Amino acid sequence: MIARVGLERRPLGIADYALGAWVAILVAVTVYGAATTTGFLTVSNMKAILTAASFVGIIAVGLTVIVLSGSLFSLALGQTAAVSAMFFLYSVRWGLGAAIILTLLLGLAIGAVQGFAVGAWGANPIIITIGAAGLLEGAAVWLSHGESIVPPDNRTSWEHLANPVLGLPAPVYVFIAVSILLAVVMRRTRFGRQIYLLGENRVAARAAALPITLLTVGAFGIASLYTAGSGILIGATSANASLLLVGSYTYDAIAAALVGGNAVTGGRGSIARTALGAIFIATISDMLLLRGYSTGGQILVRGIIVVVVVVLTNLRERNR
Amino acid sequence: MTETASPQVLLEVVDLSKSFGPVRAVQGLSLDVRVGEVHAVCGHNGAGKSTLVKSLVGLVRPDEGTIRFGGEELSLRNPLDAQGHGIALVNQELSLVPELSVEDNIFLGGLDVPLLYRRRRLSKQARAVLDQLGLGHVQLGTPVEALSIGERQLVEIARLLVRDARLLILDEPTATLSKPEIERVFRATRDLVAQGRSVIFVSHRLDEVFELCDRVTVLRDGRRVGTHEIGEIDRRALIELMLGEMEGAKAMVEHEHTLPGSGEPLVTIDGLTVPGSVEDVSLVLESGLITGLAGQVGSGTSTILRALGGLVPGVSGTVRVRGRPVLLNTPRRAVDAGVLYVPNDRQREGLFLGQTVQRNLIVARLRRLSRLGVLLGRRAHRTARELAGMAGVPVERLGSPAGSLSGGNQQKVLLGRALELEGTALLALDEPTRGVDVGGRADIHDLVRAAARRGTAVIFSSTELDEVLDLADVVVTIFHGRIVSIVPRDEASASAILADMTTSHATGTAAAAT
Amino acid sequence: MSRETTRPRWLNAADLAPFAILALMVVALALVPVFTQYTVRTANVYDIFQNFASYGLVALALGLTIIAGEFDLSVSAMYLLGGMVAVLTGGGSPMVGILVALGTAVIVGVAQGGLIARFRLNSMPVTLGGYLVVLGTTYILGHGKSVIYEDYNVGLRLDEPILQIFSIRSLVAIGIFAVTIVALRYLRVGRDIRAIGGDRRAARVAGVSVDRLLIGVFVMSALGAALAGALLSYSLATASPTNIGVDVLTFSATAALLGGVRLSGGKGGAIGIAAGVFSLSVLQEILAILRSPDYVSSLITGGLLVAVTIVWAPELSQWFRTTRVSASLEKDRTPA
Repeated sequence: MIARVGLERRPLGIADYALGAWVAILVAVTVYGAATTTGFLTVSNMKAILTAASFVGIIAVGLTVIVLSGSLFSLALGQTAAVSAMFFLYSVRWGLGAAIILTLLLGLAIGAVQGFAVGAWGANPIIITIGAAGLLEGAAVWLSHGESIVPPDNRTSWEHLANPVLGLPAPVYVFIAVSILLAVVMRRTRFGRQIYLLGENRVAARAAALPITLLTVGAFGIASLYTAGSGILIGATSANASLLLVGSYTYDAIAAALVGGNAVTGGRGSIARTALGAIFIATISDMLLLRGYSTGGQILVRGIIVVVVVVLTNLRERNR
Repeated sequence: MTETASPQVLLEVVDLSKSFGPVRAVQGLSLDVRVGEVHAVCGHNGAGKSTLVKSLVGLVRPDEGTIRFGGEELSLRNPLDAQGHGIALVNQELSLVPELSVEDNIFLGGLDVPLLYRRRRLSKQARAVLDQLGLGHVQLGTPVEALSIGERQLVEIARLLVRDARLLILDEPTATLSKPEIERVFRATRDLVAQGRSVIFVSHRLDEVFELCDRVTVLRDGRRVGTHEIGEIDRRALIELMLGEMEGAKAMVEHEHTLPGSGEPLVTIDGLTVPGSVEDVSLVLESGLITGLAGQVGSGTSTILRALGGLVPGVSGTVRVRGRPVLLNTPRRAVDAGVLYVPNDRQREGLFLGQTVQRNLIVARLRRLSRLGVLLGRRAHRTARELAGMAGVPVERLGSPAGSLSGGNQQKVLLGRALELEGTALLALDEPTRGVDVGGRADIHDLVRAAARRGTAVIFSSTELDEVLDLADVVVTIFHGRIVSIVPRDEASASAILADMTTSHATGTAAAAT
Repeated sequence: MSRETTRPRWLNAADLAPFAILALMVVALALVPVFTQYTVRTANVYDIFQNFASYGLVALALGLTIIAGEFDLSVSAMYLLGGMVAVLTGGGSPMVGILVALGTAVIVGVAQGGLIARFRLNSMPVTLGGYLVVLGTTYILGHGKSVIYEDYNVGLRLDEPILQIFSIRSLVAIGIFAVTIVALRYLRVGRDIRAIGGDRRAARVAGVSVDRLLIGVFVMSALGAALAGALLSYSLATASPTNIGVDVLTFSATAALLGGVRLSGGKGGAIGIAAGVFSLSVLQEILAILRSPDYVSSLITGGLLVAVTIVWAPELSQWFRTTRVSASLEKDRTPA
């Protein structure tokens, strides 16, 4: 047993340069695209990007807590968003405030249950959330009789949630506000600190007597709570909700978290990174759309970016 | 048991040297192993045994020296390469896949195993080898996870025999085995030797060396201090060879010894038992007293401390802290009761390597450093600075990832987080200086003494004699999960403790230390 | 195979569970006419085998990756891409379409497996990226829409009942299962796959070439999904970039886990997976006979998946022990 000779400061490794080069390429492509795509550099388009980024972004920053806690990610987010949107539009008949609170509580509960199975029993988070997605879909169809939910005619208070404020749609403000809130929570609270530690090393967290079950319940709870919040905004914006809303929210949110450069294995990353990742993905998608690329092209590009970033972040983390 | 006057030499190591950075692990080491002998390699921790073993199987590349095997000079790249030449290592970390059957494991990874491999010839071969190793009762289709540790070890040996190993290196093979299992391994070893294979037996357990081996080579500080026919040497002489100057050195490091404790029993352990590794351990730990658990790897010292830390499921016995019984089934409960366990594996279980030094230092007191769940940033930073200062961790590194510190500093961070924590009754330190250089070790010992002086009870485990003698007020020697002796430090002698650590027949009696 | 010293593996209780579940499902199917007004016909058995044909190979593909200690999230997209490629390129000859689909699968498998093995990456995020790439490609190839396969006869021939209950499609699936069962049992590679899933370090130390096996497993996985997708698309005479029917991933994960594959890796085999697929197929057929709406199937599949995952969760037993001990301690304390 030899004391490891102190590698006191880590020199930049090849992975750092590769990552730097990759970021540079992405920036260059974006700038080039921005300059050459007609209709990209307009105020209305910027608004569109921000709005698109908001719905996914809120889910993605919530998901980041799961990623940071070392439980990979959740595959039930799209379903949670859709179910929340449906529940919100249904419950708005009991008053807007009640609807919002009840929907958020529902989201929190959905996530907390999954988090408990993962945290207390060590169940595989991916499979648990795949199963949860199935259950949510089944329950949603069952309770809605397979029909879209539309809000009652006599109440229109929910419409404010979709209306522009000072020129920007309300969801954008919500996205910014909840991102900052969560960033503060992760940096400044005991819970946030412990999530990072748990994600960094679960074995050490156990030896240091951190409350692993509680933290995991919290991580999934927050992710699901944020997803429910996004669901409310999605429901209010589209004014009718069905399982069709599931769409690509799950994969988009995960892509945002991964593209932001958060370590998949947990412990390293930040809310800000995910928020930027969400905006970046929305930007690229918007640009591709304006240039006439199909849905397929957008998905494909997203996939390539995810794979490259996953490889590069992993290599970089390993060098530390 | 050499049959002829000039026995044939199978392995010849000449002038082997290897340094790791400034540390010379092995210097000018020479050794020969004859055909058909069991050759013991003994030496205290750090004597160079593991470097020697690793050089022989290609895990370490020697700086100088030659290894000749069967007359051929070898330059080994990795263990598989060594196996190809007929040298194979069996150590604590077996390379068996628990889910696979015995037969599958025997042929796993073999080069000449055919693609369509379930042939009768192979089964027969496996059966023959198992029978030869005394595993006649083990069926080929049994999954390895259903076997005992000792049987698994023999299955691993079976694999190596199928690959035609002529020299088997058994590195501490008995550390985790029960008596009958040890017997079985010994019988198998004797049979192998009788067939003309050779065995290098690395062990701390001297009675096993005398029981099994033909010759013994003793290493100390990376050099060979002698090779003897087993009949020409007795236990006493062997221990003296292993210790060398240590008895003398001990007199020099004499510390101002804070007179043991206040006499106030802070923690009492009564009949602590963990099935399979710890049996009926009872101790009284006083405030201000440092208790050292001396024992070899696998002796159970580590398990005792882990159990105190609430990390071992299935422990029984009573532990009282300040007179109140504590249920040690989760780490949380242990911490709440005031028992702080500091793990021995700082990379895996101790530190959060990617997180900053500050975050690592304050992990145990996050609750105290926050109000309503919000961290008090300034106070956290101040506390981290204080702890770093106290533990001797460079304060300017508070913001760096813990993984970027040297081993010694990492260990100080790990210890630092347990210092001066209000309400701590017992510090349980598992190998507190593992992998730390001499200077760092002295610093860490000072830290532990300072903690004891403030009134905490301290218990630590160590496989290293000089550490036990240097740090402990009371030395408790553990062998095979049981207490062999409890001796106040002033009465402890290195040779007596080493004898207790390495011998199965108990010389002392287990009682409460006072 | 009469190795007299060997205890047959199938005598293990845990290994028997998949077959017990299958038996239970079959009994339930047999009881349907007894307790309801519905009858069970040969056509229902045919349906079960058709279901097996549609999803079995995907479950086998996914199951193999789980046995090897990995997970392939991209199978559901590969399933769609296989169908799309086969329909687009099989205009002249369906065989050509299938071969091109399989070729595509090899590329995808080598790319994913290569990255995972070479860089020792976690397979979840990599195959998630792979999912997006494959799905995007499917969209692009189909211009975002369903594509019709002109030659309806191919589908008809594939699904034409043989011996009343089989079809070419289901026989192909059964045949591939049979080959895989034999291969996993009698070839070295079967043992090696379990070895790298059970204890990768030990396997590496023992001399197993882990990286090559990993790539192979991901290639097999993509091949299974692509073939099933191609055959299904011919059968429906259409390929679509969006999911057809049940969620493929949920179905195959549930089937594999019901079939005795453990998420911790190293355990399970093709027979078990077959039993798992049949169990779920029988279950879905029962629900179909009872005319129960789709959501019931979603609920049951999702519930089964969660239940199986929890039953095999690594820390479940310890949790129970800790909780029970705590409870008993609290009880001891209260009287005092």
